[in-house]
Amino acid sequence: MRKKFQYRQLNQDAVPTTSLADMMFLLLIFFIMTTTLTKTTGFVTDIPSGTKGQANTQDKTPTVVLHDDKITVNDTQSMGMGELRQYIAGLRLDQRQGEGKVVIVSAEGRVPYQTYYETLAMVQNAGGMVAIVTEEEGK
Amino acid sequence: MIRRPKHDLPVIPTANLVDIAILLIIFYMACSNFLTATTGKIVPPKAPDLVTVEEPLVIVSIDQEGNVSLQGREAGGVAVLESALTDLLRDKTTDKTRTVMFKCDATVSREVYQPVLDAIVQAGGLILAVGEKQ
Repeated sequence: MRKKFQYRQLNQDAVPTTSLADMMFLLLIFFIMTTTLTKTTGFVTDIPSGTKGQANTQDKTPTVVLHDDKITVNDTQSMGMGELRQYIAGLRLDQRQGEGKVVIVSAEGRVPYQTYYETLAMVQNAGGMVAIVTEEEGK
Repeated sequence: MIRRPKHDLPVIPTANLVDIAILLIIFYMACSNFLTATTGKIVPPKAPDLVTVEEPLVIVSIDQEGNVSLQGREAGGVAVLESALTDLLRDKTTDKTRTVMFKCDATVSREVYQPVLDAIVQAGGLILAVGEKQ
């Protein structure tokens, strides 16, 4: 017995959605590969800038100078990172107003960014404001 | 006449698979940050008491080799960087819009990062210094 095949007429108006799943998976793979879900951590600081000459005129402003092997505060005291933390906490910067919050941070030699960053974060967390010192051209 | 019992093959239902894929795409689109292009590898500095911050639109980075890049492209000198930043931050009045994300490798020395920080300050930007919690 011979079977009779009946061909159904395809509905030409229908939107073809067979490849939709493939496109979705391609997009999904793209997003999984290119995204990071980690949050950015850090601190925001509005740094006033000045030159060394300006810094010297401000007698009462605490000045932290980072050297290759040590940290000096107000050109006299030499201390480590732990002692600097205690010194900055002792300044009670969060209770001060206006320019009293400013701590001048300067780096000399080949101080790595890690040390500089830790110092900036320390002042910022203590409620202070960091001022960076840039050397004048030719000095 | 003997009738054979019908044994249907087990079928995994895949009709809802596309819906799940669409939901996942929406999730990733909503929750993701695109990897910011940098010229090289950056190991961020570590410090305690860092807070989670919102990423700004302007990004300046310095990689391990000391290459400075702005928005993922080589900046080409501090003077050029300052000029480009000044253009980018022109007409930006709010703190949020004039914040510049500064990503720098922890081992980079002062001669490299200090002029870049100064350039951001001179261009009128607020610095968002990125680091990792210790």
